[in-house]
Amino acid sequence: MASYIIKNIPFEDSKMASSIPVKEKKLMEVKVGELPGWILMRDFTPKGIAGAFQRGYYRYYNKYINVKEGGVAGISMVLVAYVLFNYCHSYKELTHERLHKYH
Amino acid sequence: MNENLFASFAAPSMMGLPIVVLIVMFPSVLFPTPSRLINNRLISIQQWLIQLTSKQMLAIHNQKGQTWALMLMSLILFISSTNLLGLLPHSFTPTTQLSMNLGMAIPLWAGTVITGFRYKTKASLAHFLPQGTPLPLIPMLVVIETISLLIQPMALAVRLTANITAGHLLIHLIGGATLALINISATTAFITFIILILLTILEFAVALIQAYVFTLLVSLYLHDNT
Repeated sequence: MASYIIKNIPFEDSKMASSIPVKEKKLMEVKVGELPGWILMRDFTPKGIAGAFQRGYYRYYNKYINVKEGGVAGISMVLVAYVLFNYCHSYKELTHERLHKYH
Repeated sequence: MNENLFASFAAPSMMGLPIVVLIVMFPSVLFPTPSRLINNRLISIQQWLIQLTSKQMLAIHNQKGQTWALMLMSLILFISSTNLLGLLPHSFTPTTQLSMNLGMAIPLWAGTVITGFRYKTKASLAHFLPQGTPLPLIPMLVVIETISLLIQPMALAVRLTANITAGHLLIHLIGGATLALINISATTAFITFIILILLTILEFAVALIQAYVFTLLVSLYLHDNT
């Protein structure tokens, strides 16, 4: 509530930046010096992590799939990410299949 | 090469944690829940496919058999989605593990048999003897029918495992052969590549067909017993 009031007063941005508490800022508005503090203040409880996954899922879902004219891109990005995840996981076994003289 | 061939069938685990659980749960992400009357395109396509399949699959059952609709539809959806996802490069297919297929086949088959014995005991026992057999043959035939009944869950599980595993192995082998032949003779490598393409098409079909066959057989066992 306080940050809402402070944001609507017509000041310059640089003067306002330090009046909003670090915890409530979005990532793009946090200054580099404040980054460690911002990361430490995030919610790392199981409920917080589940909330983060849920927010991320709905952000992707509502942007690419839950639209009026969704295409094949929405689901194929998920499949490509799945392939890349499996590739990273089996990288160690795949290094044996390279065409080298000595492994 | 021998160890590499079967390495892709080992259950994946990262730092000792079994992420195979994540991989088994992954297909559920691709099937969102419909929340409205008219949904987005992905959900509409899935709804249409499910209606098409369920109408055909449940047509032969009576009232009692149709209570299994949810079970059969989720079964065919799960098997076909895991099989199709296993065709992506480097991915792990849970249905190649015999343990999982046994875990699917035995409870379902046992459910159909126990339903039959509970509600229609005489008719279920009558299945052990085909109609019109000559009298001297009866003992032997009862034994044979019992064995064929007891082998049904094993056959279900092993059929699915063997088909999917064999398909994946063939793709690995022929792909490796194509790569090895490129330096030796380009035309042979090209022919092998064509074989690989045909095999991949076959594997897509097999993935779907195996799901269908599994579910069809379960529904057939159900039909006998309701």
